[in-house]
Amino acid sequence: MGWVRSSATPSLVHHLFPPAICGSVDVGDQARPPARPLVPCSQPWPRPRLATSSRGPINGFCAPHAWPTQPQLHSLWLFPPFPTSQLPTVSPPPMEETYLELYLDQCSSQDALTPSRSPLLSPAVPYDVDMLTSSNPETAFNPQLEEVTEASGSFSAVDLSFLPDELSQENKDQTVIRSKHEVEENCKTQSRQIRLPLPSQLDAGLALNSSSGSGSHSHLHPADGNSAQPSPEKPHSMPLASITPMTPMAPISECSGIVPQLQNIVSTVNLACKLDLKKIALHAKNAEYNPKRFAAVIMRIREPRTTALIFSSGKMVCTGAKSEEQSRLAARKYARVVQKLGFPARFLDFTIQNMVASCDVRFPISLEGLVLTHQQFSSYEPELFPGLIYRMVKPRIVLLIFVSGKVVLTGAKKRSDIYEAFENIYPILKGFKKA
Amino acid sequence: MPGRGRCPDCGSAELVEDSHYSQNQLVCSDCGCVVTEGILTTTFSDEGNLREVTYSRSTGENEQVSRSQQRGLRRVRDLCRVLQLPPTFEDTAVAYYQQAHQLAGIRTARLQKKEVLAGCCVLITCRQRNWPLTMGTICTLLYADLDVFSGTYMQIVKLLGLDVPSLCLVDLVKTYCSSFKLFEASPSVPAKYVEDKEKMLSRTLQLVELADETWLVTGRHPLPVITAATFLAWQSLRPSDRLTCSLARFCKLANVDLPYPASSRLQELLAVLLRMAEQLAWLQVLKLDKRSVVKHIGDLLQHRHMLVRKAFRDGTAEIDAGEKELQGQGQGQALGDEDVGSSSLELPAGKRPSSPALLLPPCMLKPPKRVCPAPPVSMVTGDEDISDSEIEQYLRTPQEVRDFQKAQAARQAAQGTPNPP
Repeated sequence: MGWVRSSATPSLVHHLFPPAICGSVDVGDQARPPARPLVPCSQPWPRPRLATSSRGPINGFCAPHAWPTQPQLHSLWLFPPFPTSQLPTVSPPPMEETYLELYLDQCSSQDALTPSRSPLLSPAVPYDVDMLTSSNPETAFNPQLEEVTEASGSFSAVDLSFLPDELSQENKDQTVIRSKHEVEENCKTQSRQIRLPLPSQLDAGLALNSSSGSGSHSHLHPADGNSAQPSPEKPHSMPLASITPMTPMAPISECSGIVPQLQNIVSTVNLACKLDLKKIALHAKNAEYNPKRFAAVIMRIREPRTTALIFSSGKMVCTGAKSEEQSRLAARKYARVVQKLGFPARFLDFTIQNMVASCDVRFPISLEGLVLTHQQFSSYEPELFPGLIYRMVKPRIVLLIFVSGKVVLTGAKKRSDIYEAFENIYPILKGFKKA
Repeated sequence: MPGRGRCPDCGSAELVEDSHYSQNQLVCSDCGCVVTEGILTTTFSDEGNLREVTYSRSTGENEQVSRSQQRGLRRVRDLCRVLQLPPTFEDTAVAYYQQAHQLAGIRTARLQKKEVLAGCCVLITCRQRNWPLTMGTICTLLYADLDVFSGTYMQIVKLLGLDVPSLCLVDLVKTYCSSFKLFEASPSVPAKYVEDKEKMLSRTLQLVELADETWLVTGRHPLPVITAATFLAWQSLRPSDRLTCSLARFCKLANVDLPYPASSRLQELLAVLLRMAEQLAWLQVLKLDKRSVVKHIGDLLQHRHMLVRKAFRDGTAEIDAGEKELQGQGQGQALGDEDVGSSSLELPAGKRPSSPALLLPPCMLKPPKRVCPAPPVSMVTGDEDISDSEIEQYLRTPQEVRDFQKAQAARQAAQGTPNPP
């Protein structure tokens, strides 16, 4: 029936979709609201499931695709849905229930998604005018906004998660404004102002980006003429961090339709213990060790088909995997082999050092023309190498472009860099289609 | 030198022993006063034993430059003189060498690299002034490997941030063709093989241009293409006498090295010419092959632009169309399109109409060596459990370890006694 209130984040009137939150500002003349009874939900606790875009809009916002991996998020489940906090029975049940569902969806999809390496909060739109009193507009909710807007059928059918933040800013702002209006209408009956006390313990990871926040301030100010209605409900999604839009899970490039295939991943990991290479070479079947030639053991496993160089300092290099996850699994297997040989091996600092991908644009490319127009980036020496070496500046990737249309991309640390680089080069190559 | 005395003028102790031409002098480094000097004049008998000192050795300009740098600069100058480059090139190349020598990575490099660096500087200078010099020539002069040369060249271009234009093909053709010793009769070159230089040059240029248009030059070393083009031009100028001469013999006659890829370039060029010949009305009736087409190269080159346009469909447009039709096919679209494409020519019945070929680089026309299936997308999360049995398969059992150690010991023993009884 009632929800158990978490003690982890006390007194946070943390609405399901907490708007940009400043850790230090306690917005509102009200004191921290006392523990509000959570609105009893008659529905059974929904099973956590991945958010899908088929959800209907909730005040204009839908479940975001990607959810932040904030550890504190789980505590947000338990906060009362915003508008109903004052009027336990007023808030429309469907809205509240769907908010909960969205919460749960978010939290469950946290695990499914790779942790974002981007700062937890990207520029966020402070939804609430009252919130704007805070000097640091919170970020973070922008990405949620983005994701929410994309899913929202009523506002935008375009999947914005692949766009950089600034492009979707306008959409976000618009949807924020619209949502504000809607919410205001919905909450007209509410007499009491609901202030959004900003959680004081918002997690430290929240990066505050004031510039975008202030940019959006102007959007919100005019919209929120009726400041009596702070809209706690920015029915935004939650939270605090989001996967960067630039790392789509299913990367289909809109313009070219060609997806570079990863061919090789090089990663390093620290086993954090000194190793006796002779012993490893003696006890392991799949190891070769020739100290005169190279000062490391070369070990191979069949699944995933990879090769590892294991050094006596405990550092290991793993090569040959075709995806990041495979590389990680392979590195773990090597670490396990070393463990079984009696060394106290750990698995620290696994990092992907290099990713190589290749693809085919399927038309011949005039390399002489390309080197003439892109002189500062390209190097084409037919006497030395048949391909053109293109050093892209942003992202920092090296591409080998051949006359047959095959392109090799290397030097990436993230998959998104490769896709971005290919998207950048494809229009350039199309320009050199004809000899 | 301190301690040797004091300058009478300013009283400083900083006296330096310096030589002014051939005269030893003790000079005060503060005020420049000459404290003592050697003998300025010599007697007649003494003079017979003296030797003059060259200006460059006496001015001290080389004392600031390290010996390896001096050697490198000398090498650069020698290279420029051997290649008979204009005098301004030498100064630029020397400047580049000095610049390169200031970089830490170069200063501490091996001697071999510094020697190669001299060649790189000369090459960069020539490229920037459109003087056709190939890397092969420089490597021969330096007695260096091409891979060592290429590594140093790419590094120095990146470090100095230089803008090096591509090799100018037209100039290269002119210089390379002129090096063929076929323009006058000699004991090794019979009269029927002698050719006029201008005619051969112009025809070779046209053939190279044709090769460039038909994707035979992009991505490949330019020299073999030029060799093949020169050979074809030479043959076509007097086909009756020269058709019997092979490419290898031609290069031997002309006293030029035959680059290995030249024969395949020759075949590719002949294939292009054959395709073009099919479009010429009066040549269609003659069933031409690789040898007989040489006789008509003159005609083909005269109308080459029109013939290329007619003989080859635009490869890129065809690929776009072909992809839609032939999706899923493993073979290259080229083959499929050739069969599917209809010919616009009206040929006598019974003869299979030859559809226009695709204008593509040869690497795209050949069927792929092996069809690489797209790797199955594996849903690996990286955090899966690793079963013990999987790891055990990679470890040796204790018995195996013992056996292995015994085998190793036996091998050591065997190696220890190289002459078993």
